[in-house]
Amino acid sequence: MSERPFSYRRGEQVVPPPARRTSEVTVMRFDGIYEVDPRLMRQVPQQPFPNWDTLRIAHGREDHLAWMHRHFARAVISGERILAEIAASDEG
Amino acid sequence: MSTLAARSLADEVLHELREVVGDEHLLVDKPARMHRARVPAPFPVHRWARHVPDAVVLPGSTEEVAAVIRVANRFGVPVVPRCGGTGLTDGAVPLRHGILLDVKRLQFIGEIDTESGTCVVGAGVSMLKLNEVLGRHGLFYPDDPASYPCSLIGGRIGTSGWSLIGSRYGHTRDLVLSFLHVLPTGEVVRIGEGGGPRISKSSSGYQMKQLFMGHQGTLGVATEATLKLYPKPEAEFSPFWAFEDYDTAWRTVRALAQADVATFAGAVLFDEQKVAYLRRDDEAYIPQPENLRALVCSALYGNEDEVTVGARRLMRIARSFGARYLGDEISQGDWAARHDRYATPLHGRTTAGQVVPMSWHCEDAAINWSQLPAVREQWHRIVADLRARSDVFDDWGMFAYTSARTGVDYLTEIDVGIWEQELDDERWAMWVDAKREIARVAIGHGGSISACHGSCREGEVDVVPEELGGAYEVMRTIKRSLDPGNIMNPGKYGLDGVYEEDLR
Repeated sequence: MSERPFSYRRGEQVVPPPARRTSEVTVMRFDGIYEVDPRLMRQVPQQPFPNWDTLRIAHGREDHLAWMHRHFARAVISGERILAEIAASDEG
Repeated sequence: MSTLAARSLADEVLHELREVVGDEHLLVDKPARMHRARVPAPFPVHRWARHVPDAVVLPGSTEEVAAVIRVANRFGVPVVPRCGGTGLTDGAVPLRHGILLDVKRLQFIGEIDTESGTCVVGAGVSMLKLNEVLGRHGLFYPDDPASYPCSLIGGRIGTSGWSLIGSRYGHTRDLVLSFLHVLPTGEVVRIGEGGGPRISKSSSGYQMKQLFMGHQGTLGVATEATLKLYPKPEAEFSPFWAFEDYDTAWRTVRALAQADVATFAGAVLFDEQKVAYLRRDDEAYIPQPENLRALVCSALYGNEDEVTVGARRLMRIARSFGARYLGDEISQGDWAARHDRYATPLHGRTTAGQVVPMSWHCEDAAINWSQLPAVREQWHRIVADLRARSDVFDDWGMFAYTSARTGVDYLTEIDVGIWEQELDDERWAMWVDAKREIARVAIGHGGSISACHGSCREGEVDVVPEELGGAYEVMRTIKRSLDPGNIMNPGKYGLDGVYEEDLR
């Protein structure tokens, strides 16, 4: 992504960062966003996405999930906190 | 009255329908009809034309629905009700063409009675939109299917829906107190517990509510419902735990369900094939270690202090079985995604590993806990045989969801990816045969063909008389009595047979 805020360079957007292998069937170009290995996309080629759109879709999904939690309950209890409380209780 | 429909409606029928709903709400153009021919479940796309209705009507009131059905009776034209069109057993798919009655205009939210904790809504309202409004009053309608944002109240009644958090709040049958219902002959009646619209338990008269729920449109159309509301939960807890083998996860899910935690809303068991599928294609599971071979998740809803106490108890139980907590990010993210499975773009793999577009289908059954391993083994064998014969099919693994708080039985599903564009008569026949086999396995293990979706699709519908025995004859008698013209959704559940006997 551009380091210059409020600027748009098409050349920067249509060339994704280099892929690194994350499993036998996936690669990763952006942190936290897995993509199917292009070798497995011969029958249905991946359509080109500008970088900003890939990030928008991923962030939009995160927003949606956060919204869904708020929709169903006012607060979400952390399992990590519960585990820590149990550990403290067992030690005590 | 004929059980057959003309391929196109006579001008006289169209004229009368136009008189009822107005020109704007009578649709005869091809896209409007084609789009209402199928549901999201795998569909024989090579036979699309067989399922296209002749006309679509969008009535705006109960009176208009009743008038449409009376017109249909006068001319002997089939009527297929449709709400969100998200059902997975083809209830909204026309088998005899005719009039497609789309209730989406019945989308009003009426009285919200905060004193009794009820509200009145039209059949075309979605749970998501309803809860946005109820949330302003601190209230909540907890009917939570995988199609939560897009399925509609009327469809939940017509299919007697199953809810993901039903172990806490009950399912659609428990949450709908009463509803206005248009009978197959066009009369309007209130169906509920006795006569009062807001009564949750009555012993007056026959108990008819369940009869008029889950009939897949064969016994009429619900147009307006009175719903039971709950306070909006203060807190949610949704842990996901990893296991190294299925058997331990299977024993854990029972222990969680039987822990008698008051805020327990459900638990889900993911089998080894499901984990393999997720590890292939789901960002949460791709990085997980190879020794993760089964998963269990649970959900609690309620007051924060009560949820916290329950959370500690469930966490201790899971740990006693050797479970590994997957962390807050996966647990919270995956649970939130379960309310909205229909938004997930789907693809499967050929046996060579190539990505192909596939639609998702889940065959579901109601199975008791002790039978889950045996059913799982046999179902996977059936789907493996399909996949060995054709790349059109892909095994996406199995889930088992608690249907009730005690874990007495489980909505058990095997998810199958189907490459619809490649379907032809031969492959469709393979699929339909497999569905019969899957249904027979469920019955053979003392279960029911479906806990959730219904059982009127091609394939499993042939097995319904085997499952119900003498009760299937009662079903035929009821259909014949309430719908003498076989107007409502003809062909579903094999009920045409009773009319053919009349003709003979």
